[in-house]
Formats: sequence, structure tokens, C-alpha cells
Amino acid sequence: MNDLLLMLGKSPAARNVFGALKLPIPLPEPLARGDGAWTARPLEGATALVGGAGAGELLPIITGALAEAGAAILVDDPARVATLREVAQAHARPVGTDSADATDRAQVLVFDASGIDTVDGLRAAYEFLHPRLGRLARAGRVVIIGRERAASDSAQANAVRAALVGLAKATAKEIGAKGATANCLAVARGAELRLAPVLRWVCDPRAAFVTAQPIAVTARAAAAGRPAYVRPLDGKVAIVTGAARGIGRATAQALAAEGARVVCLDRPEDSKDTSELAREIGGTALLLDVTAPDAPAKILEALGDRGADIVVHNAGITRDQTLARMKPEHWDAVMNVNLAAVVRITDALLPKALRDGGRIICLSSVSGIAGNVGQTNYSASKAALIGYVDALAQQLAPRAITANAIAPGFIETRMTAAIPMMIREAGRRLSALGQGGLPEDVAQAISFLASPGAQGITGSTLRVCGGALIGA
Amino acid sequence: MATSSSSKRRAVVVGGMRTPFLKAFTDFTRLDTIALGVAATRALLARHDLPYRTVEGVVWGGVILPSGTPNIGREIALDLKLDPAAEAMTVTRACASGLQAVTLAAAAIERGDADVMIAGGSDSTSNAQVLLPQQFVHAFAPLALGKPAPSDYLAALAKLGPLGDLVPRRPQIAERTTGEVMGESAERMAQRWEITREAQDALALRSHQNAAAAIASGRIAGEVTKVEVGEGKWVHTDGLVRGDTSAEKLAKLRPAFAENGTVTAGNASPLTDGAAAVLLMSEDKARSLGYKPLAAFKSWAYVGVDPADQLLIGPALAVPRALDRAGISLADCDFVDLHEAFAAQVLGVLKALGSASVARARLGRDVAVGEVDPARLNVRGGSIALGHPFGATGARMVTTMANELALTGKQHAVLGICAAGGLGAAAVLERV
Repeated sequence: MNDLLLMLGKSPAARNVFGALKLPIPLPEPLARGDGAWTARPLEGATALVGGAGAGELLPIITGALAEAGAAILVDDPARVATLREVAQAHARPVGTDSADATDRAQVLVFDASGIDTVDGLRAAYEFLHPRLGRLARAGRVVIIGRERAASDSAQANAVRAALVGLAKATAKEIGAKGATANCLAVARGAELRLAPVLRWVCDPRAAFVTAQPIAVTARAAAAGRPAYVRPLDGKVAIVTGAARGIGRATAQALAAEGARVVCLDRPEDSKDTSELAREIGGTALLLDVTAPDAPAKILEALGDRGADIVVHNAGITRDQTLARMKPEHWDAVMNVNLAAVVRITDALLPKALRDGGRIICLSSVSGIAGNVGQTNYSASKAALIGYVDALAQQLAPRAITANAIAPGFIETRMTAAIPMMIREAGRRLSALGQGGLPEDVAQAISFLASPGAQGITGSTLRVCGGALIGA
Repeated sequence: MATSSSSKRRAVVVGGMRTPFLKAFTDFTRLDTIALGVAATRALLARHDLPYRTVEGVVWGGVILPSGTPNIGREIALDLKLDPAAEAMTVTRACASGLQAVTLAAAAIERGDADVMIAGGSDSTSNAQVLLPQQFVHAFAPLALGKPAPSDYLAALAKLGPLGDLVPRRPQIAERTTGEVMGESAERMAQRWEITREAQDALALRSHQNAAAAIASGRIAGEVTKVEVGEGKWVHTDGLVRGDTSAEKLAKLRPAFAENGTVTAGNASPLTDGAAAVLLMSEDKARSLGYKPLAAFKSWAYVGVDPADQLLIGPALAVPRALDRAGISLADCDFVDLHEAFAAQVLGVLKALGSASVARARLGRDVAVGEVDPARLNVRGGSIALGHPFGATGARMVTTMANELALTGKQHAVLGICAAGGLGAAAVLERV
């Protein structure tokens, strides 16, 4: 677990020494993470620099979201100030003009590129970011917002939208050393009103390890309830498999902190940890092996008539071996736990037990996206879930149910602590943020996807990877 | 709710009386909140020549309550020698306590629980109990309450900190959850809503001018009773109103809560001692006893907002809610009476009421609640000029607005009050 460089990075003296010696090792910036449950105004006291190209169609929504989150707003174009000031007034937050030669720090930079349809127009993104990126505070956020790619738009317009993703990813690498993130949100037409909660979340300290990601905000899933920003999961029932430890445990805790009643599922062998967790978070423990033939029936019985709103398929195992040496039982074991059980349990829940407006969240992996040596079984099972949620998302959209996968990168858990040192170091450092994530980072992403504010995100695979180079 | 008001029992305001409002630690220092409440209520009953046994209940509001006798409503009734059968309670909702008491009494009448109620509120900031520091209590309680050995006395003394801890501290109105002093919240409100020092001072000046004019014309004398403060000395009029103040004088005052701030002692309500009482009856009872009611309650509303965000914005949400319940719009209101905790807070609430984006985000509607014509706002002065005995303010506003409707023949008045804890209160009165 111990990341020596990260510990050194917390010491200003060590940073000075590394700087003075010009050592070729960058010290990672300790991430500013959110503590505890979601708050009403995560950007209280922060300044957000906002700019846009063309019509800047999304600027009012962006401004409203940032002001509601507590930020003071500066806009690059004085002509837009009056309109946006009116929007921010709802939350009594000021809107002023940001001059390109200002030098004061800002916690958030948001650029609305939705109005850019031509290659020439792309220069506006450069013109906004170029003079301002240096002003980004430590642990700051860059968010580039464009339109979703659509075959009905011109090829050039689609090229522009793809360009924004590349811009965000490269920006993420550039600012990762100061613990800052950059992401690209692609908003589909008709999904504009679903943007605000997503923007708020990527700007929240709870998204500290999500960087260099394209996130599509769509109108695919039917509309459900209004987003809530404090205790968003109040009154919801969630089931988390593999809840005894690691990411599962953190997820159960995070969901409970947002108000959900959590059914903590794990193997009977982990009865003690699971029961303690259930007691701690006021949930219930359900002890069974997800691969057991009667597992789906037992889950349905435990959920009762109330059913569940949120299903987190987190239970997973590795049985690493090169394909040539892999025994059939190792192939089968991984496929059974990581994939077959997920399909069987989901099939059992879908007809009735999963309520409309519900959430299916599968734990995939960067290993599933990139493919790791010695993990043919694991990579295949985790890649499968990416296709699985994509299809589920389409099928369940009319019921307002979303299905998504989370692909954690290098997360500091018992599993990664067992990796040989050199490989482990590579896993940690080869990323924009230069460090591993924590189970809480994944748990926070899951609780966001589980919240009503994530209605615009479905069929996606969200990487929580610190901007890992692998598979990107 | 609103449209059915003609078909159900109506609670009407028969009259109201208050003590003069005096700056804390002046002539009322020796009168506690109960004595002030007794003075206001006695005058109210005398003025209306109401037999004491007619009163069925007392609802009283207070903020700084004596810890030994928190139900001051009952103490007032007993000291007055009301019929012991008259029940009494005390409510606290910070600065909206007085209005809360009045609307509770109105609700009891509407429900048919009673026909004649007295409601009001009082506070004596001068008599806020100075608490012993917890450290002192914890050190000495074992000596006073246990069976101490001689060595325990030395141990207790050793536990005491510097003696400075025992010096009384100036009472401050700080939010428990945020630690923010209310003046700081007002200061933030001024910044957020871009309210200038000049605008705040101008509102304070108008408050003083309106209050002074109401006193000079004799209009307000009918609502204020003289109070004996001992040794044959009587207080007849409000002590804080400064009809001769000016924009220049107000501009000279220093910011009280922030360097380069805008909130001063001149544009904030001062710590005040005083009491106000309102006589409420069911409409039928009032008429059968031969009274001519002044006004009736058409609606009221109480709301909460996040105290960590905009502590004092509550009236901007409570007023539209009460107006909706009354089935009228802000433009229908002939009078708008807003409690002036701070000029910045009143001006912030007015801006929020006039904002379409606030209406969209906070009220779920497309158009702003409306602009308030300054000629209709706080026409007889407000808390900045008159003072603000916390529990009394709501009853003071109800009395003044009920009289205003009866005297002018106008139709509607809306009241708005902000309160600690992020609370907002509003009520709509209509002429009877």
C-alpha cells in the first residue's frame, strides 16, 4: 500500500530537494479528495473561469451549475456577462469578466465548445485555455464541453468533437502533476438539462482520480426523478456484491453515506467482515457465493417485494497465468464469478426486482480495455461487461434504468499490493496523476452513477484511473 | 386554503399594544422579559376593556428565555392574574417567534379550539443570563453537589483557567452550525447581491424617517403604552428612533463586521428590550362582544434555507408561499412590511423577490415574485429605527399592519421576517 513517492510528495522539503537535484522522478501531488457525504456547495469559495465559442448554447446551464455549487464566476467574453449574471443570481453568486491577462488563481476552467463545428473554430478552445491554464490552482479542474458525435452532423463537425477529447486527454497529462484533472463532456441534443449534475460531479473533490475521460451525456434513458445534491440516494435500496473489503466495502459505505439502504453481499467465508460492515452502515448482510445455482433466487428473496434501485456487480477474482499455462478451472472460475454470475443475477433482477429508474453498475477494469499479460481470462471477462452494459442500456432505457461499467485503473488494494514491485511502480506512475487511486475514488464514481443526477450517463464505461496511459 | 377563507372560521386581529422599544441596558434593564410582557398585555386588555376571564389562552414568543421559567407565557398570565383556567404556552422560532405566537393563536381559533386568545412576544436582551463558563461549572459542581474532601477544593481551583474566563462576554448572535455572527451573514449578503453602503444607509434613513413621522403624527401612540420603570419614572415613547439622522451621519459610522465592510451599527437593528401583544378572536366572537376587527389572517408560511449559504434570505421564499396560499400576488399588497434585521438583508430579499432566475431555481416558476414599490415598504418604520426585541417584532408588525389596513381602508398587507437558523416567515393580512 505504501507509496513512498506520494508520502515524500506531501513534504514541501522533499519536493524542494527533488527539485534542486533535478531528479528525473516527478513527485506526485497528493490529491485533494472529498471527505464524507456529498455537500450542498462543493465549490464554495472557488472561482470558475468560464468561456465559450460561437453561440455558447450551454453557457447558461454551465454557469447555473457552477453557481449552485457555490463558485464565483468569471466569463471571458464581457458581452455574455449580463445574461449569465441573471442565471447566477438564482444562487446569489457573482459573475464578472475575466481578462486574458489576469493572473489570479482559479479552481475550475470550463470551456463550452458546443458551438464549434469547423476546424477553424477549434482555435477558440486554444485561445481560452492558452492564457488561463497556468492560473489553474492545485487540484483544479478543466472541463471541456462539446456535443456528442452524431452521424447526422457533418464529418468536419464530428472531427471537431473528437478533437476535444484529444485536447482534454493531453491537457490532463499536462496538469496531472499538480493534482488537477481535465475531462471532456459530450452532450447530446435534448440532454442539455442532464449536464449540470455531471459537470458538478467532475468538479467535485470526490472525482479527484477521474481524469482524461470523455463522458457522454445523453437523453437515451427515459427521464426519472429530479437530481438531488445532498443525500441523493435517500430512500433507495442498493445491493453490492463482494462488499466485504476493498472497493466493494468502500462502495457500500459511500452508498450508505448518501442515504441508501445497502444489502452487503459476500461469501459465507467472509461472514465476519460483511456483518460488521452491514452493522456499521445500517445495512443488511447477505452471505452467499454469487456463482451458486440458487444465488439469484436467494437475492430476490432477500430483496423482497420492495426490490432494489441500485445493483453494483463488484465481486471479482483473478487467476493470472499465461494462456498457454492456464488450467481450465482457472479460466472457468474467473468467467463464472466475473461474468456468468453477473449475467444470471441481472437476468433474475430485471423482470421485477430492479425498479424503474434503477441503476446497474458493473466493475470492469482497465485490464479489460487494454488487455494485460497473464490475464486473458480476467481481461476477457472484464471486457465482456463493457459490451454487456452497452446492450442493457439500450434495452432498459424506456424504464429509465441506466447501465454502466466502471473501469478502475491502478487502485491501492490488497490485490495490487501483491503485484511485483517494478510492475506495481509502473502501474502507479504511468498515468496523468502519477499515483494509484484509492477504493474510495471508485466508490465515489459508483455513487455518482447511482445518483439521479447521472440519468444522462448510460451504456458507458467510466474509467477511474488517474489518467492511466494503458489502454487510453 | 386561501379560497376557503370565507367558508371557515376566521381569526381576526382586534388590536395590539406594545411597550416602547428601548436600547438594551437602558431604562428597561430592571424589567425582565416577563415584566415587559405583563406591561404590554395589561395595556392591551385595558385598552379594549376586555374582562380578564374572557381570555382563553396565551401564546407567547421569546428568544432569550430564562432557563428556570422558560414558559414565560404562563408566567405573564399568572402575574397579570388572568383566570388560572386560561392555558398558556411559549414558542421560540428565533426572530420569527412573535409572528409564530400570533399565527399559532390564529390557528387555534380557526380550528375552533378557542375564541379569544392573546399572542405576542418579548425579549429583554439586558437580562440575558450570563452563563458561567462550562469549565467553572465542571470544576465546582462536585464541591457544591457532592461530598468533597478538603483536597478536592484545591483540585477544583487547579482546574480553573485564567480568571478572564469568568468575565461576562458581550452577547453575540452566532449561528451554532456555522459559527458565523449574523452581521457577517448580512455582510456576505451585501457582497453577493452587490448592495452598496449608500443603499443600506438610505434604507436605514427611511426607516428612521418613517418611524419618526409615525410618532410625531400620533399614529403610533395608539399602539404603544407607557411603562413604569421604578421610582415613579415612566417611559412613554420609543428610545431608538432618530428622526434627525441623515445620510451624512450614517455614512460616518464604521463597518462593524468586516474591514471595508458595509454593515454598520446604523444600518443594522440594535439589541433592544421590549414586548408586544396582540388580541385575537374568532370573527363571530369579536362582533358579538362589540369589537370592530382590524384585520384577518389570510395566510402564513414558514420556510427553512441552508444557514451556511444565505442565512437571511428566507423571506424571499416565505413571502411568495404565503401569497400563493392567500391567492394574491405581491402587486396586490398595499403594504409590504419586512423585518429589518439588517438593511443589506432587506435589500437582498427585495432583489431576490425581483429576480426571475431566483423564481425559476427556487420557486419552480418562470416569473419573478415582483418588485416592491418603496412607497409601500415599511411605511411606519422598521426594526432598524424602532429596535428589535427578538420575540416582540412579529407582534409589533402584525399590530402596525392591522391598524394600517383599518385606518387606510386598503386591502392587503404582507409581512416578512428572517430568523436565525436560516428560517423565513411570512403572513398575509386582509382588512376586515
